[in-house]
Amino acid sequence: MELRRRKLLVDPPATAAPDIAFILIVFFLVCASVQPDTGRPQNIPRSEETPDKEQQSQNIEVSITEKTVLVNGDIVPLANLDTKMRQLLAGKEAEKDRVVLVKTADEATYERWINVTTAIEGAGGIITLQLEQEEVRVVD
Amino acid sequence: MKIPRKEFDADVPSTAMGDIAFLLLIFFVILARAVDDSHLQWKPAAVPEVESTGAAIASVVIDADMRTYLNGKEIKDAEKLTEQLEILLGELQPGKRKVFLKVDKEAKAHTFQPAIESISMAGGDLIHVLNREEENGGGNE
Repeated sequence: MELRRRKLLVDPPATAAPDIAFILIVFFLVCASVQPDTGRPQNIPRSEETPDKEQQSQNIEVSITEKTVLVNGDIVPLANLDTKMRQLLAGKEAEKDRVVLVKTADEATYERWINVTTAIEGAGGIITLQLEQEEVRVVD
Repeated sequence: MKIPRKEFDADVPSTAMGDIAFLLLIFFVILARAVDDSHLQWKPAAVPEVESTGAAIASVVIDADMRTYLNGKEIKDAEKLTEQLEILLGELQPGKRKVFLKVDKEAKAHTFQPAIESISMAGGDLIHVLNREEENGGGNE
C-alpha cells in the first residue's frame, strides 16, 4: 500500500512584504547617497574695484576663444599650454607675479575654459578673471 | 440592575506598521528630491585629475539649456545669485564655505563666468564638479 505524503504550505507570509520593501528602499537610498561628487577646487580672488593697471600690464595674459588659446598674444596649442606656462612662470616666487589674467570670449565653452585654467593652475599660476564691463554712455 | 457595557478592542493592527513606514519614507524621499538639483540635466566636463569634493553648503548648476540654478531653484541674474549665496554662507569660516559649481560642458562663457564671479564675490570656496577624463559621460544626462 502506498502512503500519501502530506503537502506542506510554502507561501511566504504576506505581512512581511511591506517590511521587505522598506528594507530594500533603505538599501537603495544608502547606495545612492554614498556616491561622492568629484571635482577640483579653484581659488579665484575677489574682483578689485580699482585694479592696479601697472601690475596688470606685467602679468601674463591668457585669452580663450572658441577655437584657440593665446598667451600674451601668441597662439599656443592646448597640449603645449602647461609647458609654456611653466616657462613663463619660472623664477616667479611672489604671488602677485604669478597672477594670470584670463580673458574668455563669450562663445568659448566651459570644457575648454576648465582645461585651460587647469593647465595654468598646474603650472603654478593664480587665475584672475578679466571680465568685460558694460559701459553706458549718454550722447547729447 | 447594572448592565455591563461591552468593551471594544481598539488596538492598532501591527501588520499595518510596515505599510505606514513605507508611505512615510516615500513622502520624505519626494520632499528631499524637490529641494536638491538631481532633476537638472547637465553633462560634466572632463579633466585628467579630479579629487573627492565632500559636502557643500550650496550648489550652483548651469544646465544644458544655459539656465542658472541655486540649490535647484532658477536664478535669473548674477546679482541675485550673489545675494542668495551671501545669505546661505553667512558667517561660516573659510574652508566650510564650499559651493559646488556644476556646469554643462557646452555652456558658453557668458553664462558660467558671471556665476563664478558671484561665488567669488560671496566669498564661497569654489569647487568645480567634474569627471575624470576617461570616465566622461556621467552627470545627470
